[in-house]
Amino acid sequence: MTVFMRRSSQRAKKMADAMNVGVNLEAFSQAISAIQALRSSVTRVFDSLKDGMKNKETLEGREKVFITEFQDNLQSVNRDLNELERLSTLVGRPSESHPLHNSGLLSLDPVQDKTPLYSQLLQAYKWSNKLQYHAGLASSLLNQQSLKRSANQMGASAKRRPKVQPSTLVLPPQYVDDVISRIGRMFPDMSIELFRPNGTSAVLLVTLGKVLKTIVVMRSLFIDRTIVRGFNENVYSEDGKLDIWSKSNYQVFQKVTDHATTALLHYQLPQMPDVVVRSFMTWLRSYIKLFQTPCQRCGKFLQEGLPPTWRDFRTLEAFHDTCRQ
Amino acid sequence: MGVTCVCQVPLAEGKSVQQTIDILHKKLEQLSAVKQGNFTVDCETYHATGNASGQPTKLLYVMHNSETPLSCLALFEGGPCLTADGNFDVLMIKLKSHFQNAKGHKVESRGSRYRYCDFLIKVGAVTMSSSARGISVEVEYCPCVVPGDCWNLMKEFMQSFLGPSIPELPSVFATKPEGLYVPADCVDTMTQYLELFSKVRKQQVLPGTTR
Repeated sequence: MTVFMRRSSQRAKKMADAMNVGVNLEAFSQAISAIQALRSSVTRVFDSLKDGMKNKETLEGREKVFITEFQDNLQSVNRDLNELERLSTLVGRPSESHPLHNSGLLSLDPVQDKTPLYSQLLQAYKWSNKLQYHAGLASSLLNQQSLKRSANQMGASAKRRPKVQPSTLVLPPQYVDDVISRIGRMFPDMSIELFRPNGTSAVLLVTLGKVLKTIVVMRSLFIDRTIVRGFNENVYSEDGKLDIWSKSNYQVFQKVTDHATTALLHYQLPQMPDVVVRSFMTWLRSYIKLFQTPCQRCGKFLQEGLPPTWRDFRTLEAFHDTCRQ
Repeated sequence: MGVTCVCQVPLAEGKSVQQTIDILHKKLEQLSAVKQGNFTVDCETYHATGNASGQPTKLLYVMHNSETPLSCLALFEGGPCLTADGNFDVLMIKLKSHFQNAKGHKVESRGSRYRYCDFLIKVGAVTMSSSARGISVEVEYCPCVVPGDCWNLMKEFMQSFLGPSIPELPSVFATKPEGLYVPADCVDTMTQYLELFSKVRKQQVLPGTTR
C-alpha cells in the first residue's frame, strides 16, 4: 500500500512540477494539500499499529478500541485517497512537450551544464527521426528504378526453384574475347586490349585517341567497374601489373571516372549484355573531343576550371557537370 | 607534361614590373588559384669559336628549368637540341676552347607558381644582368598532350586573368611537320622561352625598371 501511495504522490508531484498550459493551478494546490492529508493519515495508521493496544481494563476493551481506531485510520486514508484521485483528474494533462515521454523527465535534472543528457538525447532522437524519414524517401525513389543488373530472380520463387546460375553470367571466355574484339574493330580511334590478370574476369585497357585511357573491369560480359586516367599517366603499377585502383592525378579525369560509373549503371539490359557493352563504348568514344567541345548549354569551354565532362546518355552532347540539369 | 604556352605580358599603364606582377597575382588569387612555390627558368649563351670566317658565329643556348631540376637543355636556335643531366654545365666549362660563355647575356625568369584545378600558371619577372626587362607568363594545361585539342580552352582560361592581352598560337606548335596534333613535350616549352628571351634581349632597357 505504501508503494502505491508513493507512486501516486510522485505522479501528482511531477504533474505539479510541469508548469504547462491546460493545467488547473487551483486543483494543483488542492491536490498538494490532499497529498499532505493522505500522508498524515497513513502515518497515523502506522503509528497506531506501532503503539499497539492502549491500556484498558479488559482485554476485550483493549482489542475493541484498537480495532475501531485502526478502522477509523484506514477509512480516513481511503477518504483522502479518493479525494486525491478526484483532484488529480481535475488537474489536467501535461502538454506533450515531453517528446521522449518518461525519459523527458531527465530534463528535471538541475545540473544541466555538467551533464547535458536531456538536450543530447533530444538531438539524437530528432536526428534519428529525420534519418528514418529520409531513408524512407530514398528507398521509395530507388525502388522506382530497378538496379538489378544480372538476370537472377530473387524472392519467394528462388526458394521453390533450385538455385540456377543465369546463363549470362557463365559465358565462355572465348565468347567474351570475340565480342570485345568485334567492338574494338567498330571504332577506329579506340583500341581495346584484353587482359585476364585474375582468373576469368576480363580487364580491358581502352585507349581513346590521344585523350585518355580507361581500365574497365568486367564480370563475364557485365561491366563492373571503370577508372579513367589521362593519356600521359601511367596505367601500370610498380610490379608491372595493370593498376586498377589509383585515381587519376587530374581533376578532369576524376570527374570523367564518376560519369563513366554513372554510365555503366545506366546502360542495363540483363538479357543482352553485348548490346550494353557496345552502348557503353559508344558513349565513351564521345570523349575523343573532351577538350575541343564547348558546353551545349553555356557555350563556354571552362566552368570552375573543368571542360564539359558530362555526355548525355541518348544524344551524346557535351555539358558541364553543373550545366546538365 | 601537358600543353604549355609561354607569352610575354606588357606592363600595365604607368606601373612597374613588380606592380604588374602583383596585379596578376591578385587576379589569380581571385580565381582561387593556390600558390605552390617558386620557379626559375634561365638561359646562358655560348659563342661557338673556331668557325670559318665569313660565317656568323653559331650561338649555343644552355637552359635550365626548375620544373626538371636534374636536367638541362642545350639547343641551337632553330637547330638540333640535346637534353642532358646537370653535369652538362661542368662539361661546358671543360669545352671552354670551343664554346665561350657570353656572361653578360644570361637571361632568367623568376617568380611564383600557381595551381588552379588542372592548370599550372607561372608568372615571372624576366631579368638580364639584374635589370628587369619584362614579364613572362607560362600556362600549362596538364591533362592534355595535344596542343590542337586544347588551344581554345587555354585561350579562354588566359583571357580570364590576362584580359585582352592573350597571345596567339605559339609558332612552335604550328611549324611542326604534323602540325598541331603531335604530343607536346618540354623541348617545346623551352623553345618558347628561348624565343621570349631573344625578344627581350633585343629590346632596349625599359625606363625606370631597375630592380
